[in-house]
Amino acid sequence: MRKFALPVFVLGYVVAVWWVFTKSTPIVDERDVTIRIAHWQIELGPPDGIDAVIKRYEELNPRVRVKQVMVPGPVYRQWMRANFSGDTAPDIVEYGAWLDGLADLPVRYFDPLTEDLLEPNPYNQGTVLEGVPWLKTFADELSEQRLNSPEPGQYYCVTLSRGSQRLFCNRNLLREITGREEPPADFEEMRELFRQAHAYGEKRGRAVYPFAGSRDNVYWLMSFYMRGVTMKVGQRIDENGYMTVYPRDLMWSFLNGRWSYQEPDVKAGLALLAELSEQMKPGYMQFVRDEAVRQFLNGDALFLFAGTWEATSLRRLADFPVDALRSPQPAKDDPVVGSAIIGHVSDGDNVTGFGFYLNKRTPHRKEAVDFLRFLTSYEGIKLFTDHSGWPPSVRDVPMSEEAASALSPDDGFAYGGPNIAVGGATRTVFERHLHALTGPGGSVDKFAQLMDAEMREPVREALAIEQRAARWAMLPQDTRVVAMGQLERSHPDDAATELRRERLEAAQNLSEARALQIARQLRDLAARQNE
Amino acid sequence: MPRSYPALGAALIGLSFVTLAPAKDLSFVTMDTVWSYAASNQPLEAKAALDDVETVDERTKTLAEAVLAMARPPLSEGDWAKIEPMLAQLAQGDDEIAAQALYLQARMHQVQKTTPDYARAEALYDELARRWPESHWAQLGFVKLGFVKLFANDAAAPRARIAAAEVLLAMLTEPALRRDLQLQIGWAALEYGFSLDDVLPHLIAADAVGGLMGITPEDLVIQIGELSFRAGHLAQAKHYFERFFAEFPTSTRIYNVRQRMNELEAALAAKGDGA
Repeated sequence: MRKFALPVFVLGYVVAVWWVFTKSTPIVDERDVTIRIAHWQIELGPPDGIDAVIKRYEELNPRVRVKQVMVPGPVYRQWMRANFSGDTAPDIVEYGAWLDGLADLPVRYFDPLTEDLLEPNPYNQGTVLEGVPWLKTFADELSEQRLNSPEPGQYYCVTLSRGSQRLFCNRNLLREITGREEPPADFEEMRELFRQAHAYGEKRGRAVYPFAGSRDNVYWLMSFYMRGVTMKVGQRIDENGYMTVYPRDLMWSFLNGRWSYQEPDVKAGLALLAELSEQMKPGYMQFVRDEAVRQFLNGDALFLFAGTWEATSLRRLADFPVDALRSPQPAKDDPVVGSAIIGHVSDGDNVTGFGFYLNKRTPHRKEAVDFLRFLTSYEGIKLFTDHSGWPPSVRDVPMSEEAASALSPDDGFAYGGPNIAVGGATRTVFERHLHALTGPGGSVDKFAQLMDAEMREPVREALAIEQRAARWAMLPQDTRVVAMGQLERSHPDDAATELRRERLEAAQNLSEARALQIARQLRDLAARQNE
Repeated sequence: MPRSYPALGAALIGLSFVTLAPAKDLSFVTMDTVWSYAASNQPLEAKAALDDVETVDERTKTLAEAVLAMARPPLSEGDWAKIEPMLAQLAQGDDEIAAQALYLQARMHQVQKTTPDYARAEALYDELARRWPESHWAQLGFVKLGFVKLFANDAAAPRARIAAAEVLLAMLTEPALRRDLQLQIGWAALEYGFSLDDVLPHLIAADAVGGLMGITPEDLVIQIGELSFRAGHLAQAKHYFERFFAEFPTSTRIYNVRQRMNELEAALAAKGDGA
């Protein structure tokens, strides 16, 4: 027995050394700290990406366990509200400023990451991002936070991905219809393809529609094409000179008579929408998104127009190759909308999303921030993109060709002009009256008249909601400003508190003036109606 | 064994847990804790902390109680009926707390109550400025009053609204507050249809102070460039567009501005002023 003792000891030592230098995880899975990260991106792809990051992170950090909590989108808001109120919320949560009814959550429950973001991300050592402040490693430097931060001047989240709108194409079906795999190069070729698809359907005895149709996909498709047609009107109503039109300005300009659905450019856009409508299975407004996906996967539709969040699911579920194409756009010589076109409209931007926020009450802030650093480091985000198929939010990180197909170059105008919906509940007006454009006896004139008549009240209500939102953002700040004044009094040399008070006052002043300005517009409108 | 023994044993065990449990450590709870919570929009935590603070002077405590009572708007008329006397009482003094209380009282009438009373708010701001002219709270009051003059004074003609706000602007000495009012004067003048040459000086002055928050700095630099272009001040427009490219390289409006810059350079070249 003794002659085996030394070799066994040496072997054990070698195995231990190998384990320590390659795994860094204890053999017995006992970890001091568990952090939880919650999100609603439960389609195929993102959960795998986050799992891959967690696995590697746990190898590098044997003290910490990370648990991924996946919550279905339809219940996410209620889930967040209940868990933050009950103090049972995870350490890290996905949140978006557009989530209705949660505007009070961020400042109450999330902890800013501003100071952390100004430091380099230590997990980027040895990469091209070494030494770069964490904030500057994001492709858009977290621009969404500049627009929607819960507290202007502060950064509250880090993001994982970015995307665009794409025309997903069944490559096999395209080859069967056209005899080639090259997608249409321009909108005229698209029109030709529409004809070919219908003819192919008749020949095979089962209809083929150019677009998979559902209420959701139609809204995305028509909004996109309408945006390209109304940019000239958008430029005209941009009286503020922002080189874009914010929704509140679009609403006010409509109510103020600066544009209507009778505009020649807008009517041309509506004619284009009627043409697109004919390329979908009749009755599409009765369907939801799942039905459009089913039509596409069954080979009943050649294209599916959607956001790139669908890309991984479609590619994994389809038994044919799926290409993510940039949608061909009408040119200045287009017979229907050419006179309205000023150039290409942007079909995606570099704004990053899928934002993760830090729970202010987490008992493990240090570990949670450390995980966020790894998650958005060169190595972490590469693991995410490789396993999810979603493009990375971090710059200079290589990605697959498929993920890269979700990114658009900076080659299109991004004016927000008149569209089929202009904020608030106006989408329902479009949905309710679309039959007047596309149904039997429908026409552009009929639809335009209905839109002008029926839109006014929902637009006025949407503008009133903007006013209330600005007012509600401003009201609680009075007591916060005074509290900061008291903190300053007890720490007169604390520049950080003084800066924070100044920023809060500046943010409040912006919200307050906006609320007053919109209130004045609404009074002006009411006075004119009463005349 | 007497039947009471198990109960007695359980009671003793329970008692031992009570005695072994660590006493709540309140030594770190100060008014800074209270104000930190209040500044972070956590009024319930602030209220709990206030109850735990051992030493605090009566005026500071009363201000904290009033602030925390106001922290979850909207409040009922009954709530205001309790809060306003607290603020009015504090405002009788002659210190920072008095100035803050008077400021909050003005805010209550200006924006916090469902139906604003601008005349009452203005009277309170005037009192604030008269008693503590150098106070930050008086300065902040000028800004707030300026907004009312600009946007809520329907009886006055647009030029009179702007003029009234400019009177208040002249009394502002804190740069950040001057910036906030001047920016709104510029934007109001634009909405009221003033000439771009009347609007631009206000916007340029606000931008020069810096320190604006969120998307506003980006909006403002584009806006000055674009309005300068429309007013025919091509060199000024070029300066601001170049600043935009340098300071906001990740903006979603890069393509829009680049196209405008092409037009601008063509216009400058046509004037023989391309440099």
